[in-house]
Amino acid sequence: MKQHNTERLSALADGELKGLSRWLAQRHVRHCPQCAAELQRVERVRQTLAACPPIIEMSDSADFFWSKVKRDITTREPQTVFIPVPRLSLADWLLVHRGALATATSGLMVALLTGVMLQQPHSAGPGTVLVERVDTVIPNTVATPLKGAESDVAVIWVSGLEWTADLDEMKQRFENSET
Amino acid sequence: MRWIATLVLSLLFAGTAQATSVEARLIRASNEIGKSDAALADIHAKLKEKFGYQFYQQLGAQRQPLKAGAKLRLDLGENFSLFVTPKSSGKRQQKLEFEWYSGKTLLLRSVVEIVENGHLLVKGPEVGNDWIVLAVSVRN
Repeated sequence: MKQHNTERLSALADGELKGLSRWLAQRHVRHCPQCAAELQRVERVRQTLAACPPIIEMSDSADFFWSKVKRDITTREPQTVFIPVPRLSLADWLLVHRGALATATSGLMVALLTGVMLQQPHSAGPGTVLVERVDTVIPNTVATPLKGAESDVAVIWVSGLEWTADLDEMKQRFENSET
Repeated sequence: MRWIATLVLSLLFAGTAQATSVEARLIRASNEIGKSDAALADIHAKLKEKFGYQFYQQLGAQRQPLKAGAKLRLDLGENFSLFVTPKSSGKRQQKLEFEWYSGKTLLLRSVVEIVENGHLLVKGPEVGNDWIVLAVSVRN
């Protein structure tokens, strides 16, 4: 024990040190007046405490006491207890409900965007060709807009037109039928 | 100095106010070898993809600048004509009403929103083993 160690002195006084550590501590105390005085003080305190043990007087045993407490709890009628709720500021309320607020804001934005998109007139996007209306007045003829994968090309298919053998016949046929 | 500023401004306006025009081409789609046309090189692949024929011959074509509200007549040859009426115009797209005639017969009437360099292809009457196709595009 090269240094003045009060914990070691206390352990020595309590008889907790054994063997070599006990021998070293006792040797240090023999040669160190400061530690010898400290050890004497500690031992005096211990003796004083041992001479005056605390007296706890209890009429009942611990088990009997607990059984009485339990009986009192069960026989007591339920009581309304007022617990004061702290008044939340707006900042506290926002902090507490931030998850719900984020969800509500997202929902509102989605609804607004959907509304705006639906209100806008249906127009062709960038690079698209959109057939808005198509019809033909020739009887038994149908004009159909076809949708393809390409957005910059639109196809209208006119079917049911009269077949002709060559261009001259076709010209003559359409020339004679006025719509 | 004033005349230089006027010249610069007029040049700038001339540059930005390029007339948008509509171009219509009358095409004969065929599988007969040799009936292919270099004038249709830009849309040959699209025609082949949409109609399946091997060869495409341009029978006639016309291009005219679009004027708001004015009905244009494009004569495409072989007695075919196309009437175009601009309905509205955006930055890069035009809403046009088309009326495709063969002689006095109205083959088709349509309203199409068409973007610059986009194509409207119409499969028309059948002649022998071939088809008559109308190709319309808007150019700046």
